[in-house]
Amino acid sequence: MFNKMAEVRENIPLSGGHYLLSLYSPAQARVTRPGQFAMLRLPNRSDILLRRPMSIYDVKPASRKSKSPALIQVLYKVVGRGTGAMAELKGGDALEVLAPLGHGYFREDYQRKLPQVDEVVHVAGGIGIAALLLAARELHKRGIRQRLFFGGRSRADLVCYKDFGGLVQKTILATEDGSRGHKGFVTVPLENHLAGSERGKILLMVCGPWPMLEACVGLARNYGHPCLVSMENRMGCGVGVCLGCSIGVKGEGHGAYERVCTEGPVFWADHVRWAGGTPEI
Amino acid sequence: MKKSSSAKSKKKRGAPRPVGRKAKGEKFTPDMTVEIAGIRFKNPVLTASGTFGYGQEFAQLMDLNRLGGIVVKGISLQPMEGNPPPRIYETESGMLNAIGLQNVGAKRFLDDKLPFLRDLDTQVIVNVFGYSTEDYVRTIEILNQGEGIAAYELNISCPNTRSGGMFYGSDPKLTHEVTMASKKVARVPLIVKLSPNVTDITVFARAAENGGADALSLVNTFVGMSIDIETGKPRLSHGTGGLSGPAIKPLALRLVYQAVHAVRIPVMGIGGISSAEDALEFLIAGAKAIQIGTANFYDPRASEKVIRDLEAYCKRKRVDLNRLRGTHLGFEAAGLKRE
Ligand SMILES: Cc1cc2nc3c(=O)[nH]c(=O)nc-3n(C[C@H](O)[C@H](O)[C@H](O)COP(=O)(O)OP(=O)(O)OC[C@H]3O[C@@H](n4cnc5c(N)ncnc54)[C@H](O)[C@@H]3O)c2cc1C
Ligand SMILES: Cc1cc2nc3c(=O)[nH]c(=O)nc-3n(C[C@H](O)[C@H](O)[C@H](O)COP(=O)(O)O)c2cc1C
Ligand code: FES
Repeated sequence: MFNKMAEVRENIPLSGGHYLLSLYSPAQARVTRPGQFAMLRLPNRSDILLRRPMSIYDVKPASRKSKSPALIQVLYKVVGRGTGAMAELKGGDALEVLAPLGHGYFREDYQRKLPQVDEVVHVAGGIGIAALLLAARELHKRGIRQRLFFGGRSRADLVCYKDFGGLVQKTILATEDGSRGHKGFVTVPLENHLAGSERGKILLMVCGPWPMLEACVGLARNYGHPCLVSMENRMGCGVGVCLGCSIGVKGEGHGAYERVCTEGPVFWADHVRWAGGTPEI
Repeated sequence: MKKSSSAKSKKKRGAPRPVGRKAKGEKFTPDMTVEIAGIRFKNPVLTASGTFGYGQEFAQLMDLNRLGGIVVKGISLQPMEGNPPPRIYETESGMLNAIGLQNVGAKRFLDDKLPFLRDLDTQVIVNVFGYSTEDYVRTIEILNQGEGIAAYELNISCPNTRSGGMFYGSDPKLTHEVTMASKKVARVPLIVKLSPNVTDITVFARAAENGGADALSLVNTFVGMSIDIETGKPRLSHGTGGLSGPAIKPLALRLVYQAVHAVRIPVMGIGGISSAEDALEFLIAGAKAIQIGTANFYDPRASEKVIRDLEAYCKRKRVDLNRLRGTHLGFEAAGLKRE
């Protein structure tokens, strides 16, 4: 984890108020693990106090010639003041980035599950896709079969899924308005897939809005599959000191709350206390 | 006290250095040290309780030994879980929090957290809270067994837990009572941290002083609220929360100023400080030291920068830090030469 001044290389508008931001920060890019996140401080906005947590979508070399990762990419959607200010960033702007933060998808106890499953199924709802690409790439390297279920309100929400093309065996899209893929919630085709599977042989990796998370976690439980969720919560510091990002978890330990920024953002679904312990943000 | 201070601050103590004695251009190294209740701080910049964890979290981000001191997260007799989420909400230039005093409890603090802090070259202050006078006393008795604690800071003002400190901080009799009981058992100096949510801060400042407090710190957070107009519900699960950050600075400054003039014991200023300019306002208003809270969240090196810039300011003005305190009638009136 370091705090670095990073230079904006690109901030490309995509469909539906989404943007892909590329930040030049080699030291951070090199050590980023799948599922980790960054806290971005918005420059010149003293009214926007706190940094904004953003998944690290991808890390890339800064030029064709080099191999070593130097860019951190953030895929984000404008939803309010902070992300609105992010959309105004231009090439050459500098901003403070604290990264990489949190445990990603490859914490030791998460990895131990991998040899026991035949397939990893990624489920993304909207901007939740941003937490999954690096994991898909790492799993691809390890030769693990993968499938992506990606849902949104309309086709404008289905950004960047083509980046998963070479990594996953199959991509299944769904939109609530039917403008692309299955019409309806992504959990419908997901359930069809899980229904035909052997219990415990699929590892789900889920990131998305609240109702989708809960639905996916329910399906994983019903069909007997392990499930990792990437959680979101409001964050004050990103480094474990404010205790503002705590969510309810089962069992003992540090009370019955754990910090999304430090113990997460990736948790076992059945470790999380879904009723009353988690915020609906 | 327990540790030697840094080589930089090790210089001859004695009569205050006259200002502007040396000719311009001659090297001048200002004295940044302050002494409060017999504790020597290498500089007047501390990190505020609840905003700096137990220190360890920031070790990767800054040099902790630069700090005048670290005030750790509030410690209670038993470990506490805290409030359900959402616990924080950002407001204009500020934030609301209702963490609910989640902490590891006094015993685990001594075993797991204190050893790391003890090895640092900075003063460690332990923030203490409870739900009864007995709680405060018993927590302090446990903490008394730990080595390397420079002082206790009593949180009598945390607005987050319904039954919690609020009670003590909003009734002068209780402020006096809990201060006196804590002072009786405390093995190290006692700082009482006041709540700003009162009609007359001077009454509480005096109540703590009369109860035996060695110093005061203020302010804790202002109780505030925010409502989501789409759901009609408060933004925080707890309903209300404590407001902190730059938004509260002018309010905090005025309360610190009033408290300074109400008591003889030293006062530490807290509230919205994120730069040396902010810190100087508090010092000039009469605070002997300052604490940095919310700024640590968005700028993990804020405290380091404040220390560096304070020193640069003193160099430029050619004054020792202590000479600035209470010069709010203007530097000229205080006998400091204008630059
Ligand atoms: C670990 C983590 C990773 C994230 N990764 C991404 C990402 O890759 N791309 C992306 O677009 N967003 C991501 N988010 C969500 C992002 O942080 C919020 O959308 C952002 O902070 C909102 O800021 P704002 O000022 O624009 O919104 P505000 O004006 O503060 O609020 C607008 C809306 O966003 C919601 N919101 C506010 N803060 C958060 C938050 N921390 N998490 C979720 N919702 C929030 C509010 O409840 C409100 O409905 C992530 C969040 C976390 C915790
Ligand atoms: C998230 C958070 C947690 C806090 N926890 C404590 C605490 O445990 N004990 C305490 O005395 N004050 C606590 N405070 C109050 C701060 O120490 C400080 O008094 C207050 O935030 C005002 O300073 P600031 O504006 O610089 O943040 C907390 C503040 C915040 C924002
Ligand atoms: S964001 Fe501060 S503890 Fe997680």
